[in-house]
Amino acid sequence: MDREDIAGIVYKTIAKILPVPPGEISGEKHIRDLGADSVDRVEIILSLIDQLKIHEPLASFAEIKNINGLVELLYERKRL
Amino acid sequence: MTSAAENMHGTGIEALNVYCGIASIPVRSIFEGRSLDVGRIGNLMMEQRSIGLPCEDPVTNAVNAAMPVIERLNPEEKAAIEILIISSESGVDYSKSIASYVHEHLGLSRECRLIEAKQACYAATAAVQMAVAYVASGISQGAKVLVVATDVSLADDRVGYAEPAMGTGGAAILVSAQPSIMSVDFGAFGSYSYETLDSARPGPAFDIVDTDKSLFAYLDCLSRSFENYARRVEGADFVATFDYLAFHTPFGGLVKAAHRKMMRECAKASAEQVEEDFVRRVKPSLIYPCIVGNLCSGSVYLALSSLIDTAPLNGGSRVGVFSYGSGCSSEFFSGLIHHSSASVLAEMRIAAHLGDRCVLTFEQYTQLLADNLRCLVPEKNRRIDLASSDKILARARARRMLVLREIRDYHREYDWV
Repeated sequence: MDREDIAGIVYKTIAKILPVPPGEISGEKHIRDLGADSVDRVEIILSLIDQLKIHEPLASFAEIKNINGLVELLYERKRL
Repeated sequence: MTSAAENMHGTGIEALNVYCGIASIPVRSIFEGRSLDVGRIGNLMMEQRSIGLPCEDPVTNAVNAAMPVIERLNPEEKAAIEILIISSESGVDYSKSIASYVHEHLGLSRECRLIEAKQACYAATAAVQMAVAYVASGISQGAKVLVVATDVSLADDRVGYAEPAMGTGGAAILVSAQPSIMSVDFGAFGSYSYETLDSARPGPAFDIVDTDKSLFAYLDCLSRSFENYARRVEGADFVATFDYLAFHTPFGGLVKAAHRKMMRECAKASAEQVEEDFVRRVKPSLIYPCIVGNLCSGSVYLALSSLIDTAPLNGGSRVGVFSYGSGCSSEFFSGLIHHSSASVLAEMRIAAHLGDRCVLTFEQYTQLLADNLRCLVPEKNRRIDLASSDKILARARARRMLVLREIRDYHREYDWV
């Protein structure tokens, strides 16, 4: 699974949980910028961990700067 | 562990009460007053929050929570309280404990240990577990330990969406070998702790919070502390072992997300199964927290009170309890409640007191804020303007309440009204 595959899953998951048009989702934005409240953010991260079947403490996701950072972290963990 | 059908025995909580102030505000009023996105109220799962008064502080909240418990004890039972542990993240002095004031105003025996414990919202559970171990050890036959969790809110517009969720008040938990409220499953616990700066109170007049860090730490700690519990308790199963669940509740929406996470991890449950389970096992614990807000150190005991007061209890029911405190430390433990627990707790009339709170407007709330933020600031001398809270205090006249009257030479002085 490469970065693009991971990004596709991330974008699709965000669009499923947040009421935003897919065109508004971009790598430079944080999911907070898309209107995700704290519960939405938890739901998005948990859904991604579940779909990608990775074992990673949620705490690792607290420092991500934007959606690109989220994709990168998931990609790195998936490679392990 | 004992069977849930067995009678209450062992060691645990003999009496429980919460004090959640005499004023409240609808959460929507804060959202509108601060121009917050009201679309977020749904996920917050909060309806009201309690508001403190300038004449209330961690000492009054503790005493007002504990006095109804103490008043029901006879002199011998009262004298059996050998340790008073106050848990708080709202200390009033670096050296002198809140316990020293609370001990005085509760009129406890002078042959009693006093201590204050701090680990954000978790400390009360550490205190309860140490109290259970003390009583169960038999080191002093017939001994009781009083644990009181007490805090005040310092939240204002600086903390954004945390402001509508913060509560104020105290929870009193009397631990003994007559656990009329809940017998604690001996040796059934799991802990998880690590260093993080997710939320904190670096000074006496402000809090800091990193929302994502705090929520993620809470959720990680729930999974890990339950894993630790399951390693100690043979056959423990998140779905099957517990009839009810009571979690530390910073806001209802987090507890709902936490339950959903556990149901997915432990049972691969469908969305429908998660919702049915949430309504049946968790929702009774959220009734009070959703109209009080985050009681901080006492939060999980407010959730337990809510559960006992509102859940259908037929025979014995096992409760899974999760306590979390920023910084961070957490624990999952369990206990047994009985239908008689509800009649014992009903004497405290918690729902009636919550319903009697004076509902403030946003303007009245903001007028109180400046004085409330001085609550923990060291001042050599200060007189409290009781007249400013007269109308609100008048509504609580049916209750005997301790209020802060004055700070004189750094000594806090109180009156019963």
